[in-house]
Amino acid sequence: MQFTALSNQARHALFERGRTRPWFSTKTQLVMKLTSFFLLAACLQVSAKVHSQTVSYSAREVPLEEVFPVIKAQTGYVVFCNANTLQGIKPVTITANNLALEDFLKELLKGLPLEYTIKKKTIIISPGVVGVNTNNEAATPPPADIHGRIIDSLGNALADASVTVKGSKRGTGTDEKGNFELKGISDNATLVISFTGFESQEYKLNGKNGVTIMLGRSNNVLDNVQVIAYGQTTQRISVSNATTVNAADIEKQPIDNPLLALEGRVPGLFVAQSSGLAGSGVTVQIQGQNSIQNGNNPFYVIDGVPYTPQLLTNLGGILGSSGNSVGGGGSPLSYINPSDIESISILKDADATAIYGSRAANGAILITTKKGKVGEMRVDFNIQQGIGQVTRKLDMMNTPQYLQMRHEGLNNDGITPSMANGDYDLLLWDTTRNTDWQKALIGRIAQYSNFNATVSGGNSSTQYLIGGTYHRQTAVFPGNYADTKGSLHFNINTVSTNQKFRLQLSGNYLIDNNRLPGTDLTNAAITLAADAPPLYNPDGSLNWEPNGSGASTFTTNPMAYTLQSYLNKSNNFISNSIISYHLLPGLEIRSNFGYTNLQQNEISTQPLSFYPPEDRIYNQRTAEYSNNNINSWIIEPQASYKQIFGMGKLDLLIGSTIEQNNNNGQILSGTGYNSDLSLANIASASIITAASTVSVYKYNALFGRLSYNWNDKYLIDLSARRDGSSRFGPSNQFHDFAAVGIGWVFSKEKFINDNLPFISFGKLRASYGTTGNDQIGDYQFLSQYNNVGAGVPYEGALGLIPAGLPNPYLQWELTRKAEGGLDIGLIKDRILLNATYFQNRSSNQLLGYNLPVITGFSSISANLPATVQNTGVELTLSTINMKTQNFTWSTHANLTIPRNKLIAFPGLANSSYANLLVIGKPLSIYKMYHFIGVNDTTGIYEFSDSKGNPTYNPTYGIDNNAIVSTLPKYYGGFENSITYKGFNLDFLFQFVKQIGANYRFGGIYPGNFFNGIANQPIWVLDRWQKPGDKASIQKYSSGFGLFTQYADAAYESDGEFTDASYIRLKNISLSWQLPKAWDKTAHLQNSRIYIQGQNLLTITHYKGMDPENMSTTRLPELRILTVGLQTDL
Amino acid sequence: MRLLRLFPIINIVSFIILTQPACKKLVEVSPPVTSLSSGNVYTSDATAAAVLTGIYTQMSTTSLTGSSITAMSFLPELSGDNLTLLSSVAPASWISYYTNNLTNANGDFWDIIYPNIFVVNAALEGIAGSATLTPAVQQQLLGEAKFLRAFYYFYLLNLYGDVPLVTGTNYTINDVLPRTPRAQVWQQIIQDLKDAQTLLSANYLDATLLNVTSARVRPTNWAATALLARAYLYTGKWDSAETQANTVINNSSLYSLSSLSTAFLANSTEAIWQLQPVNAGQNTQDAQAYIIPPTGPSYIYAYFLSNALMSNFEIGDQRRVVWVDSVIANGVTYYYPFKYKVDSIGAPVTEYSMVLRLGEVYLIRAEARAQQDETSGAQSDLNTIRSRAGLQPDTVSSRTGLLSAIMHERQVELFTEWGHRWLDLKRTGIVDSVMGAPGYACQSKGGVWNPNWQWYPVPLGDLQTDPKLVQNVGY
Repeated sequence: MQFTALSNQARHALFERGRTRPWFSTKTQLVMKLTSFFLLAACLQVSAKVHSQTVSYSAREVPLEEVFPVIKAQTGYVVFCNANTLQGIKPVTITANNLALEDFLKELLKGLPLEYTIKKKTIIISPGVVGVNTNNEAATPPPADIHGRIIDSLGNALADASVTVKGSKRGTGTDEKGNFELKGISDNATLVISFTGFESQEYKLNGKNGVTIMLGRSNNVLDNVQVIAYGQTTQRISVSNATTVNAADIEKQPIDNPLLALEGRVPGLFVAQSSGLAGSGVTVQIQGQNSIQNGNNPFYVIDGVPYTPQLLTNLGGILGSSGNSVGGGGSPLSYINPSDIESISILKDADATAIYGSRAANGAILITTKKGKVGEMRVDFNIQQGIGQVTRKLDMMNTPQYLQMRHEGLNNDGITPSMANGDYDLLLWDTTRNTDWQKALIGRIAQYSNFNATVSGGNSSTQYLIGGTYHRQTAVFPGNYADTKGSLHFNINTVSTNQKFRLQLSGNYLIDNNRLPGTDLTNAAITLAADAPPLYNPDGSLNWEPNGSGASTFTTNPMAYTLQSYLNKSNNFISNSIISYHLLPGLEIRSNFGYTNLQQNEISTQPLSFYPPEDRIYNQRTAEYSNNNINSWIIEPQASYKQIFGMGKLDLLIGSTIEQNNNNGQILSGTGYNSDLSLANIASASIITAASTVSVYKYNALFGRLSYNWNDKYLIDLSARRDGSSRFGPSNQFHDFAAVGIGWVFSKEKFINDNLPFISFGKLRASYGTTGNDQIGDYQFLSQYNNVGAGVPYEGALGLIPAGLPNPYLQWELTRKAEGGLDIGLIKDRILLNATYFQNRSSNQLLGYNLPVITGFSSISANLPATVQNTGVELTLSTINMKTQNFTWSTHANLTIPRNKLIAFPGLANSSYANLLVIGKPLSIYKMYHFIGVNDTTGIYEFSDSKGNPTYNPTYGIDNNAIVSTLPKYYGGFENSITYKGFNLDFLFQFVKQIGANYRFGGIYPGNFFNGIANQPIWVLDRWQKPGDKASIQKYSSGFGLFTQYADAAYESDGEFTDASYIRLKNISLSWQLPKAWDKTAHLQNSRIYIQGQNLLTITHYKGMDPENMSTTRLPELRILTVGLQTDL
Repeated sequence: MRLLRLFPIINIVSFIILTQPACKKLVEVSPPVTSLSSGNVYTSDATAAAVLTGIYTQMSTTSLTGSSITAMSFLPELSGDNLTLLSSVAPASWISYYTNNLTNANGDFWDIIYPNIFVVNAALEGIAGSATLTPAVQQQLLGEAKFLRAFYYFYLLNLYGDVPLVTGTNYTINDVLPRTPRAQVWQQIIQDLKDAQTLLSANYLDATLLNVTSARVRPTNWAATALLARAYLYTGKWDSAETQANTVINNSSLYSLSSLSTAFLANSTEAIWQLQPVNAGQNTQDAQAYIIPPTGPSYIYAYFLSNALMSNFEIGDQRRVVWVDSVIANGVTYYYPFKYKVDSIGAPVTEYSMVLRLGEVYLIRAEARAQQDETSGAQSDLNTIRSRAGLQPDTVSSRTGLLSAIMHERQVELFTEWGHRWLDLKRTGIVDSVMGAPGYACQSKGGVWNPNWQWYPVPLGDLQTDPKLVQNVGY
C-alpha cells in the first residue's frame, strides 16, 4: 500500500524539473493540481495534539474526505489513506453526538467497502474486501434470515446479481441497492454470487450476517461484456452468435472508419473497402449475401439509435459505394470517430437479431461509445502522427517497351503510324521521355494525424466523459487534398440517491471537410502512355500538347481532373438518452430517446479550363451543389422484469419502437458562370436546375424477449417482434418475427467435471428464427409522378412523368436463420474454441420482376419466391500460449468458410437474371466464355463455344457458360499479442482465399492508343508474335476494329479470373509503457509510446493493384505507419 | 424532484399508449412532396398539363444520339444511305445500325417509345376520368395525348412492322399482348388523329392551355392534320392524303414556306410543330449532334453526310449551300447537316427543333397528286419546294417520273430529319435496290444486305417476358 503525502515543496521541485520539457504546459499544471486535490487535505496534516476521543459531527451527503479534518480537529487522530482508496466512495451521512472514536468510525464506514486500523495516533483507512458490520456476531440459531449487500470494487451496488446457496436450489437476486435477503438458511451456508462480467465468488458465511461482499471484474474473455440488442450478456451465458470488438483493438489501428477495424477480426463478417481515399465506401456483409437485388447492409445501431447504412444520392462518386448500387458514394460510418468507440458488437444469428425484426436479416452492428467511469478526473491525451502510401504498384512498361508494343501493333494491322489516325505518341510526343505515372499521380506520401483528448471521471452517482478528436489525412494525389475531421463526444450518467432513477445522455458530433479531385487519378496512373508529355508547360499552365493545327493531343492530361474539384463538408450528430426507473423490485421501466442528424454539403465543379482549349466553345462551366440531410428520431419505451427464483433467473423485456427517418436532399446544378473562379458560388450561375429527394420512412414495432437461465447451465431465449413499416403496401405493412435460442453449459454437469476435468468450459447452443429485410426504397407501393428536370422549362412550365409501376403488395424479404454452436474452454479457459455452423435461407426476394417494356416499364418491384441460402462454418480459437509474470503471449485466430447458393428462382431462364444467376450456384458468379488461350497459329484468343469447339468469336447468351464464382472460399484473421514488461506487440494477419477479376489482359487492348491512354503492365509483353509462339497475350493491334471483339471476349471470359487470394499484415501495433518512474518525473500516468501500422505487407499472386478492391480505377488501400504517444495527466 | 416522481407515471402512460399493438397510424406516410401521385395529378389543370409538357421536355432534353424518339433523326439515317460513320472510332451500337447488322440487343426505339405510350395512356385515362379539369383544357389535353399516341405508333409501325397495340395501363393485360397486324395499328393511328383533329385547338397555346401564343411548340389540330396526311400517304389513301394536306397548305395565314436560312428558326412560318430547346445554354440538339468541330471528326462526331447524299444534290441546289457545311481535317473534307446552325454554348436560343413542317406537307400532296395522276398539281407542289432551293422547275410528267423526282426531292429536302429517308425507302419498296444492290449503300458501309433488315428487331427482354411476342423474320 502506497501512502502519498507529498509536501508542496517537493511537488514544486518535481515541477521545476518537469519544466525543461517544452510541452509541459500550464494546462498540465492545472490538471496536476486538480489531481492533487484528491490527495486530500487530511493526508497532509501531520502535527498531533491531545484531544478528547469522542466525536460530535452531523452531516448529510458529504464526501468522506471532508470528515477527516473534523476527526483530527476533535481527536487529534490523523487519518491516512490512499487517494485511490477513496475513488468512487459515496458521500456519507452521519449523525454523531459525543460518539467514541471507534464507534464513530464504524458508523462512518458503515456500508462502505473500507476498513480502518488505528496505530498510535494514526487512523489508516484501507479497502476492505469485506466491509463488515458485525453487530450480529452473536450466535443466531439456524436457520436464519441472511441479508447482505453485493458491491463492486468501487463500492457501487450491483443490482440483479444472483445469490444462491451452494448445494441447494435456494437463491435470490439483489435489488437496485445491491441488497439481498435469503430467508431460513443456515448461517454456515456458502453463498455463490455471480454477476455478468464479474468473477463469480463463493462466500462462506461462517455465522456472519449483514455481510457486504465485493465482486471483482473477471479477466476471463468468457465474462467480457457483450452489448446485444436491448441489453448485455457475456459469452458464457449467451445463446446467440455475437462477436465483440473492443476499444483496445480499435485503437490499435490507424483508420478513419470504424468498420475497417473489424476486418479480419470477426468470423462471418466480410468487409471490403472500395478505395484508399479517406471517407471511401465500405461494403459489409454478415454471413453472406442474402438478397439478390436489394440492400445487403447490416442494421447499424449506435448507442441504441439506428443509423443509416447508406448515404443519399450525392456527388461523391469518387468515394465508391458502400455495397448498394443505389445511394451515394462514401460510407456514413466514416462520420463516426473510431476513438470514441468503446465496443462494436456484430450480431449474426436469429437469436441475436430477431428482436430487430424486419431490419436485421443481414445482421446487426451495434456501436457503443465510451462512457465515464467512477474515479478521479482523468485527462487522457493521445497524439498520433504518421504517413500513408499506396500499398501496391503495378510494373508498367517503360517507354522503349511501350513504343515497341505500339509499333508492333500497327505493324500487325498493316498500318503505318499517321497523325490522321492520331498516333501522336509515336509521331508528335517526345519518345525519349519516360515517366513513372504511378509515382507522379498517386505516389505522394499522405500525412496522417490523429489527436485525441478525453476528460472523464465521476463519483458513484454521476459520471461524465468528454472527448475531442482532430483527424487529418491528406491524399496521395498531387495537389492540396485532405480529409479533416473534428469531433466531440460526451456522455453523462447519473443516478438518484435511492438508485431508482437513472439518466444517461450521450452525444457525438463530428465535422468533416473532405477535399478531393473530381476524378480518381489511379486509372490515369496505370494507363497513361509512358512517353506522354509533361503535365505542365514551362509557364505553369496545363499542357495540352497541341498538334500543328492547334488540336490538343494530350486531351487526357490527368491534371485536368484536378481542376475539377470535389468538396464534401459533413456534420453528423448522434445523440441518445435513456431514462429508467426502478418501479418495483426487479421491474424497471425505461425509454430510449434518440436523434440523429447527418448533413452533407458538397460542391463539385467543372471549370472551363478542364476542357482542351479548342473544345471550350462547346462546353460550359458547370457546378453541382448537394445539400443532403438524413435525420431520424426514435423512441423506445421498454419495461424489463428480472427475477431470480432459486437457481433460475428470469429476464423479461417488452418494448415498443416508434421511429421516423426523414431524408431530404437537393442537388442543384448550375450552368452559365462567367468565370472559373465563381463556380463555388451558386448565385453566379445563370441557370440553376434542381433535383430533390424527399422521403419519410416510418417504423413502428412491438417487441419482447424472455430469457431464462437455470444456474448458468440451461439457457433459453425467446424473442418476438411485430413490425410495421411505411415502405410496404397498405395490405402488408405488418409482420411478425420470432426466434428461439437454447444453450446447455455442459461443463457444469457433474459427469463432465468428473470424467473430463480438463474441460473448464463447454457450451452447446442452437438458435432458430426469422428476420426480415426492408431495404427497398421508400414509396415503392405508390403510383408516383416525378418532375422532369430541364435547364429551361418547356413553355415555362415544369413537366411530370410517372416514376414507375406501383406494387401495393410489396412486403419483406424473409430470412430464416438456423444455427448451432459449440464453445469449449480447456485448461482453465486458456484455450477457448468456438465453432458455429449456420444456415440462413432468404426467400420472398424483393426483385425487379421483369416486364416487357410494352407495359411501360421493364420491371416492377415484387416479391418473388426465389430463395437464397447462406451456410457457413465459423471457427475461432483463442489461446494463452505463455503466461509468466513479465511475459504473456496469446493468439486469437478466426476462420470463416462461407457457402452461398441460389436454391430456387422460378422463371430464371426468362428473367433479366438469366445471364447473372444459376440455380445451385452462389449469387456472386459470372457467366463467362471459357478461355482457351492464344491460338499459336493465328495469334488470336480462342474460346470454347457451347459445344466445346474452339471459336474466336463466341456469342453472348449462348457460349458464356463458364461459371466463375468470386465468393471467397474462406477468410479470416490471425492475431498475436505479446507483452513483455512494458512492451506490447500485437499483429493481425488477415487472409482471404478467392479468385477475382484481374488485370491479366492489361488495360485497354494492348497496342491501342486512345487519347494518351495506352500503357500496359509488363506481363503483357508475353504476347504472340509469330506462328508457333506460345503466349498468354494475343498479338498486339492498334485499332478497335476486328480485334475488338476477340479482346472484349477475353475480358468476358473466365481467363480474366485467377487467384486473388491474399494474406495481409493488416495491423501491427507496438507499444511501450513508460516506466513508472519516468511517468512520475513527468507528472504523467500510464504513458505509452507506440508505433502502429496498417496494411503493411500483402502477399498475393493477384495481377493488379489491390486484391481487396480489385479495381483499376480506384486507389488501392493505403499503407499507413504512425507513431504516437498516449498519456494520462 | 417533482418531475422525478411524475416520471414513472408518465412513462407508464406513454408505455401503454405507445405499445398498443403496432399502430397503423404510425406507419402511414403521405406521398413524398417531391412527387405527385396518380390520385392527384389529374385533378388540376396545371399538373395534368404538366404530364404532357413532361413528354415534350423529355423529347427535347435528350441528344439525338441518346435515348429519345428524336434519335429518329439519327439512327435510321445510319441505317439508310444519308450518313457515313467512322467505324474505327464509333460505338458498337452505331456500327450495328450503320452496317444493318442489328441484333435483339438493339431495342432502342421500342424501349424508348413504349414507355412514352404508357405515359400517354395513363394521361388519357387520368384526364378522361377527371371531373375537376377546365373543359377546354381537358379537351386540349386529350387531343395532345391522342396525337402523341398516333405519333408514337406511326414510328413503331414503320420501324418494326406489326407491333403490340397497347391502349391502357394495366400491366397484367399488357404484358401478354401479341403483335397486332399493321392494318389494325394504322386504323388506331388514323382514329387517334381524327379524334385529335376535333379535340385540339386551332391556335398554338401556352403551357396553361388557355392562352394563345406565338410559340409553335405544342401540337394543334394542324399538326394532327399534317400527320394524318402523312398517315394516309403511307397507307396509299391518296385522296385523303391530298385533302388533309390541302387543309394545312390552305391555312396560309399561319403557314408559308420560309427561306432556307430561316426555315429552322424558332416559330418560323414553316413550322407546324417544333420542340423548344430545354437544355441550359444550348440551342437544338440537332445542331449539337451534327455540327462537326473545326478539329474534325472524333469518336463523338464520328458521322458525316455520305457521298451518296452529297452527290444527289443537283448543281445549284441552295440546300447544299445553306443546309450543309463542311470541315477539313487532315486534308479530308467532311460534310455535315447545317439546317441548325447554332451549336455554341450560351448563344441566345434562336432555333427550335422541327418535328412537322410545311415543306413536307407540300411533298406529301405532290406525291398524293402524282399517284392520282394530277400531274400539274403534283408538279406545282414539287416545284414550290424546288424553287425555294433555287432550282429550276421540274417538268417531268409521267407518274413514275414524277414519283421518282419526288423521292429524290424528299431525300435532299428532308435529310437528317425524323428518319424520312429510311421510312421512304421502305414504304416505296426501293429499300432492297438502294440498300442491297452490289456496291450500293449497305455494302459500301461494310454490311451485307438482307431484305429482312428493313425491320428492326424486337428487343430480347420483351421476347423473354412476353410469351406471345415473336421476333421479326431473320433475327
